[in-house]
Order: sequence, then structure tokens, then C-alpha cells
Amino acid sequence: MRKKALYTNDPHIQALAQIVGEEAILYRKEDLIAYDCDGFTVHRHLPKAVVFPKHTAEVAAVVKYCHEHDLPFLARGAGTGLSGGAIPLNGEVVISLVRMKRLISVDLENRRAVVEPGFVNLKLTNSVANRGYYYAPDPSSQYCCTIGGNVAENAGGAHCLKYGVTTNHILGLEVVLPNGEMIEIGENGILDPPGYDLLGLLTGSEGTLGIVTKITVRILKSPEAKQTVLAYFDRVNDASQTVSDIISAGIVPAALEMMDQTAIEAVEAAAFPVGHPNDIEALLLIEVDGISAGIDEQIEEILHICRTRNVREVKVAQDEQERAKWWANRKTGFGAMGAISPDYLVQDGVIPRSKLPEVLQQIQQISEKYGLRIANIFHAGDGNLHPLVLFDSEKPGETEKALAAGSECLQACAAVGGSITGEHGVGIEKKEEMRFIFTDEEITAQTNIRDVFNRKNLLNAGKLFPTPGRCVEVKRA
Amino acid sequence: MNSTGQNQAKTLGNYRWGDLPDPNKWADCVHCGMCLESCPTYEQTGQEQHSPRGRVHLMKAVAEGKLEITEDFIDPIFACLDCRACTTACPADVDVGGLIEEVRWQIRQAIPLTGTKAFISKLFLQGIFPHPSRLQALGRLLKLYQKSGLQKLVRQTGLLRLFPDHLAEMEAVLPAVGEPVRKKYKHSLVKAKGETKRTVALLTGCVMDVMFSDINEATIRVLTYNGNDVVIPPTQTCCGALHVHAGDKETGKMLAKQNIEAFQDVERVVVNAAGCGCMLKEYPELFRDDPVWHEKATQFSEKVEDISKYLYDTGYERPKAELAMRITYHDACHLAHGQGIRQEPRAILASIPGVELVEMPNADRCCGSAGIYNITHPEMAQAVLQSKMENIPNEVEIISMGNPGCMLQMAIGVLKHGRNEKIVHTVQLLDWAYQKENGKEWRT
Ligand SMILES: Cc1cc2nc3c(=O)[nH]c(=O)nc-3n(C[C@H](O)[C@H](O)[C@H](O)COP(=O)(O)OP(=O)(O)OC[C@H]3O[C@@H](n4cnc5c(N)ncnc54)[C@H](O)[C@@H]3O)c2cc1C
Ligand code: SF4
Ligand code: SF4
Repeated sequence: MRKKALYTNDPHIQALAQIVGEEAILYRKEDLIAYDCDGFTVHRHLPKAVVFPKHTAEVAAVVKYCHEHDLPFLARGAGTGLSGGAIPLNGEVVISLVRMKRLISVDLENRRAVVEPGFVNLKLTNSVANRGYYYAPDPSSQYCCTIGGNVAENAGGAHCLKYGVTTNHILGLEVVLPNGEMIEIGENGILDPPGYDLLGLLTGSEGTLGIVTKITVRILKSPEAKQTVLAYFDRVNDASQTVSDIISAGIVPAALEMMDQTAIEAVEAAAFPVGHPNDIEALLLIEVDGISAGIDEQIEEILHICRTRNVREVKVAQDEQERAKWWANRKTGFGAMGAISPDYLVQDGVIPRSKLPEVLQQIQQISEKYGLRIANIFHAGDGNLHPLVLFDSEKPGETEKALAAGSECLQACAAVGGSITGEHGVGIEKKEEMRFIFTDEEITAQTNIRDVFNRKNLLNAGKLFPTPGRCVEVKRA
Repeated sequence: MNSTGQNQAKTLGNYRWGDLPDPNKWADCVHCGMCLESCPTYEQTGQEQHSPRGRVHLMKAVAEGKLEITEDFIDPIFACLDCRACTTACPADVDVGGLIEEVRWQIRQAIPLTGTKAFISKLFLQGIFPHPSRLQALGRLLKLYQKSGLQKLVRQTGLLRLFPDHLAEMEAVLPAVGEPVRKKYKHSLVKAKGETKRTVALLTGCVMDVMFSDINEATIRVLTYNGNDVVIPPTQTCCGALHVHAGDKETGKMLAKQNIEAFQDVERVVVNAAGCGCMLKEYPELFRDDPVWHEKATQFSEKVEDISKYLYDTGYERPKAELAMRITYHDACHLAHGQGIRQEPRAILASIPGVELVEMPNADRCCGSAGIYNITHPEMAQAVLQSKMENIPNEVEIISMGNPGCMLQMAIGVLKHGRNEKIVHTVQLLDWAYQKENGKEWRT
């Protein structure tokens, strides 16, 4: 690659380059364009610069500089976020943490590992798998997303039904506060230390309270045995009922995933097809794990439930290869939309499981109302819906329609007592929808907390909470 | 300029030259980022403009008129190794490598190369590779250089230090040059041993035939041993991959046409260089705007097969002699990502008695050779090579692979990192086993 001499009159760029080094800053338009959005592409904005600190001290120095000079700034991991959290809406200085990607230590005895924020999720499991351990939170983007980004979004994944989301696996954090001060929270991995639960507050704060620079996570012993079931249903209602029945039967699957017909069309047209039939309304992917004893009985029971709910075909993965194939097909589901649609917008509502058939029906009606196809791929076990609104941003007006359809899906979730996000965060995308579930007072209470940390509101401003005073017709449902 | 001349749309944003990039290719990209970790240049830099997603985003920005074709745009586009790892990783099947080539063609017309760069590029890409006779002459020169003691002299006197680092490294690993098979078997058909089951044509490749003619000889021996008559059409030429990668689509098309015609009368074209095989299979892409040649290219590409897959699919004699060796296999990008061939070469190696096949981690990660990339981007190529070397398992004797470009690069790696593995083509190992079985001298 070409070496670029620093050529700018901008004193801020010069100062930042002093801190991180000339090879660790981008500021020309051509280089910045790649940072104008994340996995949420509806809004785009160029950052002022992108810096690549190598260690915490550099992060702190950059933050301190921005704080002192009133420059807006934000953190970015792999940029796979789906709600726009890493989009530099205000022309921020983007602090990219991807060069801080070391696995600092692994302590098997105490079942924990310390990583830098840019360390990629799946690499943690890969690094400890041969010793019989793994890192449980497994967002579908785990091949690429960073653990820092996971902490910020409190990411979940297919196997979080049984094992909990990111926040249940974080033991300690090192954080650079928005004024450049560095703090450590969580003590030697002791769960629930006395005082306020700062770990809980920081995890899922969407990069608005501080920049995470070191993370202590829990690692788990790999389950002794695993079995995976694939079930095809002619009717989506039967699939939904099966989900309820499995949970009511007292089984806690490690994962319980659903895909509807449109979703199946996409994954079969994309890079990792399995050969699912194209005329079923839904499929379920069910995994149970644990100690070997008892797994077979659980599988028998699941097969039995599927059959009583009119399953067309149900099978158990014969080997690891088959299981991996099913999961690759599922985990690449969002990207697979590219094979059937130029753009997609993924929503992330949560509902009580019992409302599944009802809400899926409503989503179908929303799809018809807007004339846009909506695919559903989701964590059925914990009621975490992912309606994917398919659209073509080249067609005038279609982006707006997609946004409106997405918003209505969330409203439907909120109306049955659910929530507007399960794991992808609020970001820019759903900030107005926060009003579906919170009153103005509740929102103010939260922004007051933010202001304690982020006094000047320079860090990732304009995200997570609705723009004050903006008139929105739809209030709390 | 445009020989096929059938372009309807004349411009696309700031792409203003004929043979426009295909907008459908970036339309499939949903910006999910699932390709990031697969990309060697992103791994090295952490910069998104040096990632597949970033590159697609930039190329699209030019088409949308948001960006001009400038030096800063060109940099990430030419720093791409064209390794196709992102194509494997991408759930939406975005053909990033293909797009990159199409955009390089635009760039080369927007900003023609100047100075030494232009000279070197022209000399190799237009002056030498497309002309078998010149390449052979170069080969003879090389042979003379090696045989006459000149090589020794150059090495001893430290004259090599005058070369840029990467060229000096390359010189050091140049294989002993033999006689090109295209010359040797001109106009003749090499008969199968025993009964003829099939007839195949061999693409001799330009670099392959000059630098690695022994691999071509081994390929012919293995094919004939397994009941194939082998023909070597004399009018065949360079596959054009290097040209197309570099953005010289015109020369690429010219060479493609010549090859399509050269192999017109055969049913199967067997290739032992992954980069060439991948290019031949992608000829139809070159003629997207030209229905007549597109059709011919499609028919042609269906005849092409890599040697490992060909042997695996048609069945080959299991060797009986034992080669007691610990071997690891490197997936050439253009075999694994470009043609989806991963398991066949491994199966062949594993079928040789005595061979212990050890998987190397990240076997399908680029080695940094990537055509002439190691000449144009030496630093990045070295960094990528270093990661590759770090992944080679302990105590293997041989690193096997199916592409001459990788072989040179890996040889540089082994030398530079003070290792002593031998670099051997997959088909050569099979040949060794056959030779040994028949009591011949089997190891070069
Ligand atoms: C195909 C696909 C599938 C997905 N599947 C899932 C899924 O199953 N479950 C799920 O939960 N999510 C999923 N996601 C969403 C996304 O991958 C997660 O939100 C992930 O946690 C984001 O990580 P990242 O490194 O990409 O962060 P980014 O996108 O770079 O950033 C996300 C947010 O975190 C902040 N941030 C990043 N790093 C830090 C840091 N070190 N300190 C403080 N703040 C920081 C940013 O400012 C931003 O607000 C998916 C995304 C895609 C594209
Ligand atoms: S190229 Fe493929 S994997 Fe990469 S961002 Fe685009 S759609 Fe996703
Ligand atoms: S072809 Fe290779 S180097 Fe180029 S963008 Fe894809 S993964 Fe990166």
C-alpha cells in the first residue's frame, strides 16, 4: 500500500496524528467513506477522522483531546451493528478498536479470559476449544464482530436461550470515560460486587457511557454432548405451537430458532444452502446440549412434540458436519437476503412467546399494507423476533416505506407487552420507537444517568434516546 | 478501443469507459461485514477501505458519482490480493474479486500508468507473457544464467544487493529451468499407457511451462499413466489472468479468444495451475457485453477442469509405493475460493501410502503471491506471507499445493524464515509415487 504523508492544515488532525501516529489515522474523503455507516445503511455520515489506537493509553489520550476541544467522538468495532450505533452522525472522530485485538490471558482454572475490545467473538471460542472450553454468547455475526461491540450492544445469539446474553458473561471491564479518565470495574471476576451494578449499566449502553478497552469474560466448559433437530412445518402456527410446547414441557434447549418461507427462500438462494423444501411455511432448528445422559430422551420428546403438531418432516443431525451445515445456513441468514433483495432492514422486537402466532400474523398484514416482503428469522425460544423488511433503496420512497413498516412491526411487539429490541440495540434506528415503551419521564431519567458519565454529550450523541421535543404521533401503545 | 464494441450504457457515475462494471455485483452487498475477517489486507491494516465490504462501498460510491477516480481511491482497489476469500465468506455471494478487476480496468483508462511502473507492466504483461516464444527465450536466458555459473557469480559477488529486496528474494528461489513441454511435445499427442480411456488437452501455462516444466512433465506422466491421451494444442497462450487482475481487460480478451480457439476441438482442458484454471472458467465474464463470444466462452469454460479434480472424478490408480513423508497442504486461493476445490487434492495426497497429511491452520488463507502482487505490493505481500509461515505445522517435510505462483511465494517464505520444507505440487507427489512404484528415479 501507498504510504501517505500527513498532508493537512487541520490542527486537530495533526494533534490526533501526534497521539496515535501517522499510520494510524485516516482523514481523506476516500478513506473515510468506508466509515460512513455500519450494518445499518439507511443513514450515512462521514466522520471527521478515524484513529486506530494500539492500547488504552492512546484511547485515553484521544478521548481527552476530543473532550478538551469539544470534538464529538465515538467507538467502533467491526461495524456490524444493525441499529446505526457506529454511524458518525455528527461528524465524529471515530475511534476504531480493531487494532486492539489481543487475547491477553486465559485462566482456565477460574474459567475466564481477558481480551482487548477488538478481539473477534469467535476467535475466543477457537482459542480455547481444544482445551474443552468456549465463550457462550454467539451472535450470528460472531465470525467478525468484536467483543467490545458485543459489550456495547449486550449482544445475544442463538444459544443465549439457555446460557444468557453478553451481560451474563462479563466479569470485568476497563473503561475510558468520556473525559479521558480510565476506570476499572468488576473485581477479579467476583460476581455481583457490593454497590451499584456498574457492569450491568455499562453493558448494553451502546457506546454512550464510555469506551471499553479491556474485558474479562467468563468461559464455559463445552457441553459433553449436543444434538440438533431440524423440523419442517406446513403451517407457521404449528411451528409456533411447537415452540411453546417444548418450553412448557420443561425442556430448555440450547437454541430454538425459526425461519419462515421467505427466509428459507433467501438462505437457499445464497451461499450456504441446505436443501430445505420451498413450500413449507416454517422450519425450526432446535439444539439441546449438556451431559450425555438424558439428551436422547429430550430429543425423543422434542420429536414427539413436533409430530403431534403436524410436522411434515423432522430429522436429527447425523454428524457434526451436518449440524455445522444447518448452522451455517441459519447464521448467514441476514446476509443471505442479498440474494433475493438489494436491501434489507432487520428489526429486533421481543414478545412473550405465547403471542408468536398473533404477532407473526400482524407482521404479514404489515407486509401486505406496504407492499414489501418481510422475512422472519429469529430466536423463537426467547421470543426475539427479527422481521427483515426487504426493499430497494434505489426505488424512490421505498426506504421510507421500509422504515415505516419496520417501525410498525415494533409497535405490534410493544402492543402485546414486548420490547423494541432484544439484542441489536436502539442506536439511531429505533430511538423514536423508544416512546412505544417509555414515557417522557422515564426517558429523561435515563438521559440523566447518561449525563453523569457523558457530561458534554460528545460521546456518540444522538443515539439511543429520542430527539427531545420532536413531535411524534405514536406515543406509548 | 473497445473491440467488442457492444456497450449500450456509456457511463456509470464516474466510470466513463467502455465495459462498465456490473452494478448487480454490488447491489447484492448488504453491508453486513461477514467478509471482514476473511480478508488478509483487513487483517493486516484493520482499515475498512482495505476490506471487501469497504472496497465494494468505495466502488459503488464512484458509480453513484460521490467519488472521483483518484489516487486515494485506487490504493485500496489495487491493494486487493484478488484472493477471493471474501467470496467464500459472503452469504450473499458478492463477487468482490470480479468487481475489483472490472474497476481496475476503468482505473487503468482513467489514470494510465506512467514511468517505470508502466514500463515494467508493459514489458511483462504485454511484451512477454502473451508471447510463448519470448517467454521461452527468457527461460533459456534463465537456464543459461543458472548453468553458466553466472548465477553463482551474481550471488557470490553480492550483485543481488543491487536488486530491490523482493526481486532478489525471487531470484534466490528460482527453480532449475528445464525444457518447456509445449516445445518438446509440439504437434504430437502423448499416448496413454495401455488402453486409452479419454483424451484431454493440457494447458501448459506460460510461467508454469518455463519455470516449472518438470511439473508439466509430471502432469503428463500422471495423466497418461491413468489412461489419458494428452494433447498440447500448439496455438494456446497465456491464460490472461495476470492481465485481467491488473486491469488490462483488452489483452485479457485477446488471449481468451486465442485460447478458446486453440482448444476448440477438444472435450476436456486440464489445468495444473489454479490461477489459470480459475481464469479459464471465468472467461464468460470477460464477454458479458458480447453475446457471440460469451456463448463460445461459456462452452469453453465448461470443458475446463483442475488436474486434482479431474483425477479424483475420473478415478486414478491408487499408488502402491510408499512415500513416508509428513506433508501439509496449502489451499491456493484460486483453487479453494475461486473453484471450490478443497477436498480433492487432499484426498489424492492422503491416498499415497505412507503419507501423513497434517492440516495447517488457516490453510485457505492467501500466501501473498497473488499473481504479480508480490512485485507490486512487496510489503503487504511479506506481511501476508509471514502469517502464512507462522501457520505451518511443525516438522513437516513438504508443503504441497496446486499453483505455481504460490509455490514461488512459499519458497521465498521458507527461505526467508530460515525453514527447510520443500515445496511440491500435488500432482508431482502422485507422480513420485508412481515412479517409485515402477522402479524409476522418483525424486527431483
Ligand atoms: C449478519 C449479522 C448478524 C447479526 N446477528 C446478531 C445476533 O445474532 N445477535 C446480536 O446481538 N447481534 C447481531 N448482529 C448485530 C451486531 O453484530 C452486534 O450488535 C455486535 O455486537 C456489534 O459488534 P461490532 O464489533 O460490529 O460493533 P460496532 O457495530 O462497531 O459498534 C456497535 C456499537 O458499539 C459501540 N462500540 C463498539 N466498540 C465499543 C467499545 N470498545 N466500547 C464502547 N462502545 C463500543 C459503537 O459505538 C456502536 O454504538 C448481527 C449483525 C449482522 C450484520
Ligand atoms: S460483500 Fe458480502 S459479506 Fe461483505 S458486506 Fe457485502 S454482503 Fe456482507
Ligand atoms: S479478494 Fe482477498 S484481498 Fe481482495 S477484498 Fe476479497 S478477501 Fe480482501
